[in-house]
Amino acid sequence: MRYADFTPYDIILLLQGLGVTLALFIGTTLIGLAIGLMLAVVHHYRIPGCRPVIVIVTEALKNSPVLVQLFLVFFGIPAFLHIRMTPVEAATLTISLNTAAFAFVIFRSGIESVDRDQIDAAKVFGLNRSQILRLIIAPQATAFAVGPLVGILVNQLQVTSLISVIGVFDLTKIGNILNLRTLQPFIVWAVIGLIYYLAAKALAHVGGRIEAALRKSVKWGGI
Amino acid sequence: MIVAENVEKRFGETLVLKRVNLRVEPGEVVTILGASGSGKSTLIRCINGLETLSGGKITVDGHDVSTKTGLVAARRASATVFQLFNLYPHMTALQNITLAPIEVLKLPKAEAEARARALLDRVGLSAQADAYPQQLSGGQRQRVGICRALAMQPRYLLLDEVTSALDPEMTGDVLRILAALAADGTTMVFVTHEIEFARHISNRIVFLEQGELIVDLPTAQFFAEDGGLAVPRIRQFLSKMKKD
Ligand SMILES: Nc1ncnc2c1ncn2[C@@H]1O[C@H](COP(=O)(O)OP(=O)(O)O)[C@@H](O)[C@H]1O
Ligand SMILES: [Mg+2]
Repeated sequence: MRYADFTPYDIILLLQGLGVTLALFIGTTLIGLAIGLMLAVVHHYRIPGCRPVIVIVTEALKNSPVLVQLFLVFFGIPAFLHIRMTPVEAATLTISLNTAAFAFVIFRSGIESVDRDQIDAAKVFGLNRSQILRLIIAPQATAFAVGPLVGILVNQLQVTSLISVIGVFDLTKIGNILNLRTLQPFIVWAVIGLIYYLAAKALAHVGGRIEAALRKSVKWGGI
Repeated sequence: MIVAENVEKRFGETLVLKRVNLRVEPGEVVTILGASGSGKSTLIRCINGLETLSGGKITVDGHDVSTKTGLVAARRASATVFQLFNLYPHMTALQNITLAPIEVLKLPKAEAEARARALLDRVGLSAQADAYPQQLSGGQRQRVGICRALAMQPRYLLLDEVTSALDPEMTGDVLRILAALAADGTTMVFVTHEIEFARHISNRIVFLEQGELIVDLPTAQFFAEDGGLAVPRIRQFLSKMKKD
């Protein structure tokens, strides 16, 4: 067996890479959704001064390349603030914020999709702000948001491949390593691509299930 | 008692309510008449605190709606039925009715549901308890809207053109329910274009003209030749309504 051959151990390498990719994806998704939701709520309540800041920052995040954001965070921030940052920290921060920006926009339109008239009714019947948010706005906004969110997340899963550039050992980085060793780029990248594809399909499938369940529980057919 | 004193409401430059004075005693049915755009809805929305006053004062059982605690208390005392129902679309009829009793009055769920079912039964909708608003006709939706208001056991019922989005036969269903409520002594502030019905159930009728409350009379006097009908604007309004 030559050094350049594929070995059974490569499967373990690939699985490790996939594990890093998925862990980063899940972590940044949870952080990103939480931040995006928080921003949408703050935006909804018109907390003084917050609206323009939120809009400008999220617009910047949505409309600039993630790779540039990643470089800014990984090289720029440590240089500027004289701190150290590991590749994983930089990757987590960048992709979380990027996901948050897209999630914010979706949650915001979800909140705005709820008819003012119902909110008037809830107010008149004495429900307070947080009850209105939790019982009237959230269920309808969620039903509205889940489809677009799944779409964005499938895309963000692909975006995580960029972090290999700063040296995170994710699936793409593993592909790089295997490619350099075997010099079989066609096979390596086809396999890596297929794994991303399958992961994306699985994610879309789960998202579809959640959406279907939500639709079933919300028979009003308004979404 | 609901008391409005010199109430003014302005949207931007336009003064929509001009020094409006109104008193509604417990047990009374007071109908507000007026052309479209005269400020009827705005007056109701000032009473239930959906609009902030530009001037004057409104109290409900002494609670000033322009203060935070006063508004909470005032909203406990009254309940509103809306022209376009304003039901929560993601909740069943039963959930629409029980939401505020459970969340605001802190009633146990079982008690709130028993109360809601009794109300649905009273308006002929026992079979629709688990239907979503989308699955109901307009008249059925408005009956749910009425149940939702009554479930709060309000001292005052505010009704803003509650039948104007309904077909004639559905209007009849809803008006019969309101007549029964009036006969039970429910206090109502009633905005409507159903003149004959208003004449039948009201103790008093007030007339809004471009934001001014120009007439406030006991019902019989309002329709008397030497009373409301002596006001040209009202005569004109009533004859126009009859034609429609
Ligand atoms: N939110 C608002 N902003 C600006 N103008 C309004 C608003 N609500 C009502 N108006 C205006 O106030 C006037 C009275 O409206 P409204 O109270 O709805 O009349 P009515 O219920 O008698 O038909 C109308 O001229 C209407 O255009
Ligand atoms: Mg109106």
